[in-house]
Amino acid sequence: MVSFLARRLITFIPTLIGVLLITYLIAYAIPADPVRAWVGEKLMNPQTLEQIRIKYKFNAPWYEQFVFLVQQLLTGQLEDPVRHRNVFTEITSRFGVTVEVAIVGFLFLIAIGIPLGLLAAVFKDTHVDFAVRIMALVGSSLPAFVLYYFLILLLFVYTKTTYLAGIPEPTIACRTTVSILPQRVPVLGHLASALGNVPMFAAMMCGEFSVVADTFKRLYLPGLALGLLNGGFIARIVRNSLLDALSAEFILYGKARGLRRLSVWKHALKNAMVPVVTVLGLNFGGLLSGAIIAETVFNIPGIGRYMYEAIMRLNFPVIIACTFLVAVIYITVNLVVDILYAVIDPRIRY
Amino acid sequence: MEFVYKALKKVIWFYAGIREKLSRGWITKNSSRIREWELMAYAYSKSPIGVIGGIIVFIVFILAVIGPIISWEPYWEYKIVINESYRYMPPCLTPSCSGNPLLGTDEWGRDVLAMSLYGMRISFVISIVVVLLGAPLGIVLGLLAGFKGGIVDEILMRVTDIFLAFPGLVLAIAFASVLPQRLRGVLEANSVLRSFFASLFGLREAEYGQIAALLSIWFAMVIVWWPGYARIVRGSALSVKEMPFIEAAKLSGLSTWSILFRHLLPNVISPILVMMTFDIATATLFAAALSFLGLGPQEPVPELGFMISKAGQFFPERSSHVVVYLGSLLLFIAIGWNLLGDALRDILDPRTRRAIEYRFEKEEKKRG
Amino acid sequence: MESRLYLPEGEILRVEDLVVKFYTYAGVVHAVSGVSFYVKNGETIALVGETGCGKTVTTRAITRLIESPGRVESGRALFRRPSGELVDLLRIDTEILREIRGKEIAYIFQDPTSALDPLYTIGFHIHETIAEHSKNAKKKYTFKKAVELLRQALIPNPEVRVKNYPHEMSGGMRQRSVIAISLSNSPRLLIADEPTTNLDVTIQAQILDLLRSLQEQYKMGVILITHNLGIVAEVANRVYVMYAGKIVEEGTTEQIFYNPQHPYTKLLLRAVPDPTKRVEKLESIPGVVPSLINPPPGCRFQPRCPFAIIKCASEEPPMIRVEDEHRVSCWLFEKS
Repeated sequence: MVSFLARRLITFIPTLIGVLLITYLIAYAIPADPVRAWVGEKLMNPQTLEQIRIKYKFNAPWYEQFVFLVQQLLTGQLEDPVRHRNVFTEITSRFGVTVEVAIVGFLFLIAIGIPLGLLAAVFKDTHVDFAVRIMALVGSSLPAFVLYYFLILLLFVYTKTTYLAGIPEPTIACRTTVSILPQRVPVLGHLASALGNVPMFAAMMCGEFSVVADTFKRLYLPGLALGLLNGGFIARIVRNSLLDALSAEFILYGKARGLRRLSVWKHALKNAMVPVVTVLGLNFGGLLSGAIIAETVFNIPGIGRYMYEAIMRLNFPVIIACTFLVAVIYITVNLVVDILYAVIDPRIRY
Repeated sequence: MEFVYKALKKVIWFYAGIREKLSRGWITKNSSRIREWELMAYAYSKSPIGVIGGIIVFIVFILAVIGPIISWEPYWEYKIVINESYRYMPPCLTPSCSGNPLLGTDEWGRDVLAMSLYGMRISFVISIVVVLLGAPLGIVLGLLAGFKGGIVDEILMRVTDIFLAFPGLVLAIAFASVLPQRLRGVLEANSVLRSFFASLFGLREAEYGQIAALLSIWFAMVIVWWPGYARIVRGSALSVKEMPFIEAAKLSGLSTWSILFRHLLPNVISPILVMMTFDIATATLFAAALSFLGLGPQEPVPELGFMISKAGQFFPERSSHVVVYLGSLLLFIAIGWNLLGDALRDILDPRTRRAIEYRFEKEEKKRG
Repeated sequence: MESRLYLPEGEILRVEDLVVKFYTYAGVVHAVSGVSFYVKNGETIALVGETGCGKTVTTRAITRLIESPGRVESGRALFRRPSGELVDLLRIDTEILREIRGKEIAYIFQDPTSALDPLYTIGFHIHETIAEHSKNAKKKYTFKKAVELLRQALIPNPEVRVKNYPHEMSGGMRQRSVIAISLSNSPRLLIADEPTTNLDVTIQAQILDLLRSLQEQYKMGVILITHNLGIVAEVANRVYVMYAGKIVEEGTTEQIFYNPQHPYTKLLLRAVPDPTKRVEKLESIPGVVPSLINPPPGCRFQPRCPFAIIKCASEEPPMIRVEDEHRVSCWLFEKS
């Protein structure tokens, strides 16, 4: 198991390097006139342009550019040349919000998808099963943003529910406590502080559960939408994987050994879980992407909205930095999923 | 569904007839293959979701091809320039209303229904070409990697890993925001390309800047799409290459390409075809999402996702009709492809094959 | 409303007129059509026949392990429990049946790899089998017992192996593990479904020896399913020859081997080449196993039988006594 972990962590590094390479491609290599791209379509006087050119090494050979970019990204120094603000401070505050949206969406997804899938398996080939199939079909055929508008129409216009504009945050006292954790506790402190960028987690760590409740009140709409869109698909995976597991020879052998119904189901469920965990893990990237779109529609101040505004204004450094960070989060989540997968399925540990 | 089967059978035998003319004896040599096709055509005709999906896709195809031609309102004219009140007119459905556009107007006073015909062409072209470019690219690379193994495999795996390290949408956003600059320059310079792409998308050459944006979405999506196929094909290739018949092919001295395409590929193709069909649906929605976020063509090009995003600003008071109609259109297109993919997956599933064959033979006997 | 259950002294299982049907898309498959046999304490009977003749279905039907679209239509399976109580396995309460399964009647499935849950260790499989049949089985006790059982099954390093997952073992070891699991609760009846078919020939011999010694040790009755006559000759006391869902001949091993009566039995024996003799051609039985969807009237072997007479195509022969314990279902012996 340890060797598996070690090997898995080692592949993390080249992937990270690859991510940096791609980011470089996007930032420097592809744009016809990178400076224009970085600065946006605004007109600027030639001196400022020249300054920017030198600063970002647009005239330097590619390896210098690459090193520069990597430095900027890894030290979190990328500057927004238009607004003269450090991009990363803007991002970290908003990132936590996007992660929150994705997590709420994930919870809804599990709450909708897994029970429905179990029902569809137990009531195989009945109306329930058919309804789940329809839900999966519509969920994967409906554009996410259309569903968001539709839900807004349904809930806000017709039932006149309202929500707050911003995102519930933990108290300042809590935030300071979390931010100084790395100084108090070494490794775990850093981890906790990183997690603490997600307002919900920070609040949970401080025991401010009313904030957590408020977060759900604020985010249930996009969460529900994300859950509905992907829930049908997950339900079908759960259904098929459970049916496959139930028809396995070792289940019959278990019955032949005189196992109780409960124990037989335990065997089936555990085996069925394996492909479901994989799919859920793979879907997380989709949740992040979905969160980006959700933020533009529901007006949530997360990284998606930030990226959207950057796209509108062609604010390049922001797009680069966001892409990079999202990729890092994504590969981290994949790593966690892989490890979880190895915990469940002993065959994978080699 | 009898007529579906009869129609498909005519197509199969028409094709067989042509091949026979080209090389005599083709029919007898390939009789089992022809039977296989007949079996699949039968299975398809018996699948209600397959037929419905096929009909939807057919409708979409027709609309996409003739859309820009039959559209009665040119998309480049902003009606609101004439009269402000044209903006976001509600749908004119009841008999009492007449003369106004059936499904209302959009931000610029244009008939939404007419605009959607242009939009369908754009969506259709993008989704089809992305899959038809991205899939083969990934397939070929995957076959190579799986078959050759060793260094080639390792390199390819690292590369796909890197691309797969980005969530698809994010990667596409990043590429689609940088590419327009470059592509715009290319289109500006090259008039042949300009006119080609303009006619492909049903737009005017004057909008080449927006076409550059469309092409950027295209490229960005192809970049996002190919690694998935490469991974899956590589996996299948790895398991198939150990089989004796591949070794036999190697021993008889066939070149690598021959082995890859005539022996390896046909054995891994079925799940790939299913995946491609589903992917066309996904690509349609993905392109719409990218346009929704503002990465695609801007006004006046009537791209479906873009029109929805513009309508979103006035939602829900004035523009709900636009969102509902265009959203339903996208839903309709995606459902068609998804149903088709579902049906294909059922047909190509080896487990249900015996049952299908049995019923097929029974019906053949009945027909005498 | 049951008639009084009766089992002759010394018998542990008696199956009477078992009928199993499968309701499929292609029609109703008559998998087992009136099979009867018995097993005595401490003896090994062999169920022999080609693939698809219904051997496995028969043995699974006894403890109602047949799943949809299959159904046990009729018949009786009388079993003498350790307490002395006689039950009809096909009619008793499901909870009692569950008690019997795995404790008093144990199975060895044909493919050990698919029989084991890949997510659990061998030790857990044994622990589970024991724990589900007793009130308070502590893990410490069951795992110690597991090591013992694995040792008995001739698995080297049982203390290490008990913590292994199925994929960490070789095929032979997996089969031995399955044997160990089946013996966890010292069953009175062991049903071994082709226990050596998927193994190397060298391991086959070991497994057979193991089964034989364990049978002696535990004093079990054994039903051995196989299509390999060599194994039958080695370990079986009595043989039942099955064809197309019916038993066509039954007798002691010597009777079947030295005095086969049914044409099918004779052809089966002829098909096994004698390694000491030179042969020009390998014998096989011409034709194919019939479809059991609409069985034709008369003897089911008739289409392939080289000795068929007119009567065979219209009427099914009953079981006719050849000698003590030796019966055959064939019109050719009506006279005797």
